[in-house]
Amino acid sequence: MIPALRLEGVSFSYGTVPVLANVSFSIASGERVALLGRNGAGKSTLVRLIAGLQRPDQGTVWVGDWDTRDCVPEQLAWRVATVFQHADQQLFATSVRDDVSFGPRALGVGEREVQRRTDSALQDVDLTAHADQHPYDLPPGLRKLAALAGALALEPALLVLDEPIIGLDRALRARVTRALLERSAASVALLVITHDLTFAAETFDRGLVLDRGTLACDERLVSLLGDATRLEPLGLVPPPMAALSTALGLPGRPVREAEVARELARVARGRLAP
Amino acid sequence: MKSLTLDHASFWYPATESPALRDVSLEVAPGEVVALVGALGAGASTLLLVAGDLAPRMTGGRLEGTAARRDRSGIVLPTPWTQVSGMAFTVWDEVAFGPANLGWPAHEISRQVDRALERLELVPLASRDPATLSGGELQRVIIAAILAMDPGLVLFDEPAAELDAEGACTLWRLIRVLAKEGKGILLATSALDALPEVADRVVWLEQGAVRAVGTPDLLAEAAACEAGLGTSVATVWRDSELPEPAPLTIIDAVRRWR
Repeated sequence: MIPALRLEGVSFSYGTVPVLANVSFSIASGERVALLGRNGAGKSTLVRLIAGLQRPDQGTVWVGDWDTRDCVPEQLAWRVATVFQHADQQLFATSVRDDVSFGPRALGVGEREVQRRTDSALQDVDLTAHADQHPYDLPPGLRKLAALAGALALEPALLVLDEPIIGLDRALRARVTRALLERSAASVALLVITHDLTFAAETFDRGLVLDRGTLACDERLVSLLGDATRLEPLGLVPPPMAALSTALGLPGRPVREAEVARELARVARGRLAP
Repeated sequence: MKSLTLDHASFWYPATESPALRDVSLEVAPGEVVALVGALGAGASTLLLVAGDLAPRMTGGRLEGTAARRDRSGIVLPTPWTQVSGMAFTVWDEVAFGPANLGWPAHEISRQVDRALERLELVPLASRDPATLSGGELQRVIIAAILAMDPGLVLFDEPAAELDAEGACTLWRLIRVLAKEGKGILLATSALDALPEVADRVVWLEQGAVRAVGTPDLLAEAAACEAGLGTSVATVWRDSELPEPAPLTIIDAVRRWR
């Protein structure tokens, strides 16, 4: 089976400033992958390479069986949908609905299908009530969600998101998690940059960590996020649930909130039992 | 005099009928860190704009009640790329842009810029073009640029959103230092787990109005947790239906668990 995304020995520099060095990994359909690392580690540059906005100096970025070097970004949009770090720059229509429907319409799908995808994407991120508003009348967090809805409406094989939950409250973060889990269940591959390791723990299975342009770590998040000594040199700290699990010695060291709650209740019941 | 005094402030954006802020009275003392928490759209960003004299002066709209500041204020917006001047080709010059526009003598500009760069751990980036920085690096530049103007009241809107873990830790520590130096700090953030260490007082906003005010212990209360405004530890403790009171932090939880 061809992976949804494969990087082979990718290196990239901005002029004389090296950003990525010999990065290789692949992501299968339906996989949920968090891309972690310090500010300036090269995460956003990686997103630009996958979207075809930059070309690697060395190595190859494969989106399915397409070499991104042979594709222009609008071709890649058939397979990859991207929310960039500064999502404001992606929004240009005078209503959220028009913005979200632009992508599928540009792909040339029928008008009825455009409407279906638009309605479904708006609903997925709880933006239906804001559909007729101007995107710039929304707070920054909701503008990012509007860009996310636009990406979802493309119904791509691969979703690449740069910090999708900045500025969102707990309820909307949970909504984004749910929307991404649903897409993953429908075989969409996810690669998502985040500094919020709570969001990472709740939403993704696998973590890639970039450290000064190299891939320093590629493993299951559940084992990585509880290990403070390994996280520290990568500029990361365990999320609160992982730290709580460790501090209380919870069996299995869960890192997701529902699992921690279940373990807490179970251990507490055990203590009370005669 | 307080660093900031809002007295029965209500604010309407242009062409809107319902107010974004409703009858908010709030004081920030010199040396105090006050955190604004609430659901998205609760009014925290609007409150900061009013506190910083940007609303209605820049936004238009209508203010009822008053907002009074003792000193000059500085605001850090949640989207750093909208706050960068675009007129400087190095980080040093970007940070100097504000002080230069205040008409300060060159030696004072240099002193403030160097100090701000040091505080945000930006010295190694001082000669970089701001346009080549990552989002988190740019966010630190914007914070440095605001602090270089030495405002008496600093208004932060989601200042850690773009920052990595180390950058966020540096910022939270710096905010406590700024308070110790006598600055008033008003901080809107969704980083609730940081607040027990950072904030003296928490103001919970709901639909533009103040719903509750208290110490950070407020974030362990049942109502806050139900509204999605509890710390992670308090929230999971309550989800597990463990006995009251819910702990606020991991240290509290360890104490309770024994």
